[in-house]
Amino acid sequence: MENNDNRLIKIYHGPQHPGITGNMSMELDLLGETIKGARTHVGYLHRGFEKLIERRTIIQAFTIVCRICVPEPDPNEENFARAVEGLAGIEISQRAKYIRVMVLEMARLAAQMLWMGGQSGSIGLGVVGQWSVYDRDLILDLFEELTGGRVYHMYIYPGGVRRELPNGFLEKLAQLLDYLEGRLLAYDSIFFENSTFKKRAIGVGVVNRDEALKNGYVGQVLRGCGIERDVRRDNPYLVYDKLDFEIPTYEGCDVYSRALVRRGEMVESIKILRQVIAQMPSEGAIMQKLPKHRKFKLPKEDIYVATESARGEFGYYMAGDGSEFIRRMQVKGPSLIHGFTLLENLLVDEELSNVALIMNSLGICPPEMER
Amino acid sequence: MQFSPDIKGTLSPFLAVKKLFEHPKTICYPEVKKEQIDGYRGFHTNLLADCIGCANCQDVCMNEAIDMVTIAKDVNPKNASGCIPRIDYGRCCWCSLCTDVCPPNSLKLENECIWADDKADNFLYFPKDK
Repeated sequence: MENNDNRLIKIYHGPQHPGITGNMSMELDLLGETIKGARTHVGYLHRGFEKLIERRTIIQAFTIVCRICVPEPDPNEENFARAVEGLAGIEISQRAKYIRVMVLEMARLAAQMLWMGGQSGSIGLGVVGQWSVYDRDLILDLFEELTGGRVYHMYIYPGGVRRELPNGFLEKLAQLLDYLEGRLLAYDSIFFENSTFKKRAIGVGVVNRDEALKNGYVGQVLRGCGIERDVRRDNPYLVYDKLDFEIPTYEGCDVYSRALVRRGEMVESIKILRQVIAQMPSEGAIMQKLPKHRKFKLPKEDIYVATESARGEFGYYMAGDGSEFIRRMQVKGPSLIHGFTLLENLLVDEELSNVALIMNSLGICPPEMER
Repeated sequence: MQFSPDIKGTLSPFLAVKKLFEHPKTICYPEVKKEQIDGYRGFHTNLLADCIGCANCQDVCMNEAIDMVTIAKDVNPKNASGCIPRIDYGRCCWCSLCTDVCPPNSLKLENECIWADDKADNFLYFPKDK
């Protein structure tokens, strides 16, 4: 929209703004408090990971991928490992698969807790964020014990996982799940059933259901429109086909529906983790024997793998060229399509105060757009 | 406009008040320190009696954070190069690939992870001999 009639005010929402989900900015044309045009600007965090990976050996590239998305690095590690295994023809043990599912579901729970802090903070509910970030920290404590790192775990590795489970780890996890299940009821009281949140979220940021599939939206945006799509069910990987879980869907298409989908997913993650604890094989190698660092070569083939992250389908395309380097690796995350195509349209005719609310509900993560 | 009060949704957030009477979740650092966990990826240690100076750690490091440098101290007689690794903590990402590829398993990571200094050169770190 042209800003030439003196009534429109142009402001930048971000990149330094508490209501933005990372290093990006929204250029907004305002008529009073109403947004008349929105454009997404990225470029504040470009690190060139896809290109860097072409210059690293396969083993070295593994340490880069987790940094593609800060709030949930594990789906990246899983994608990378599964793509390398697919190209190199490596089959991992059942035990390693169960451990990977455990890590991925713990990461999903941690990411949803962090989302809850961001989403509540966007409308001024500070207590929710303090509680949920503390509860996320309890999950990170377990990650620290398992992997040696709190945020970047660098644990899921081509060929399996890097460390055996510490003594008593599954018992600690079971205790934490009982605690978190109880906490969900507390979050219902202060957040999901909170009349302030409902007033702000119901009927806001409504996605057109017909466009949702056509435009390639994923994750909670689709499931919040009542469309039951989940990579874990549609194209099962690891041992998800042996686990019993539901895919929560809601019909509202708005911010509130997407919040309820996330709440349902936390319940399902707890359910999956309990099954993993019960079914975890006690025997089995956690890591397959791999070629040496400089001798690990991928054939001249390509592959696409996808993982259901806490925000939707996360895919990697990988091509080998017969050398120890990866010829090309392309990341397809949910943020690019949600942050440009969807967000720019959703913000038109919304209030300025709803920008952070809508942006958080879409699960946009700028580091992942600018990998 | 019809007024439909959401009484439950209005009152339920006040349940948070009961947290006022609970023990705080935070700890008073540095008076109280967090419990250290075995296997945390902190600083490097290198048992010089075992290090063979093979430079596998330098080769695998994607950040080029490891240099092999000659030291005056006595090293392992099997250390053919006479060099040991020195870590640049301005570049290290604590991935621990270097410890994975160490043939004699002399290079390890310890729990310690706090280092403060005003000189950049002091971040070129010789792992403790242990």
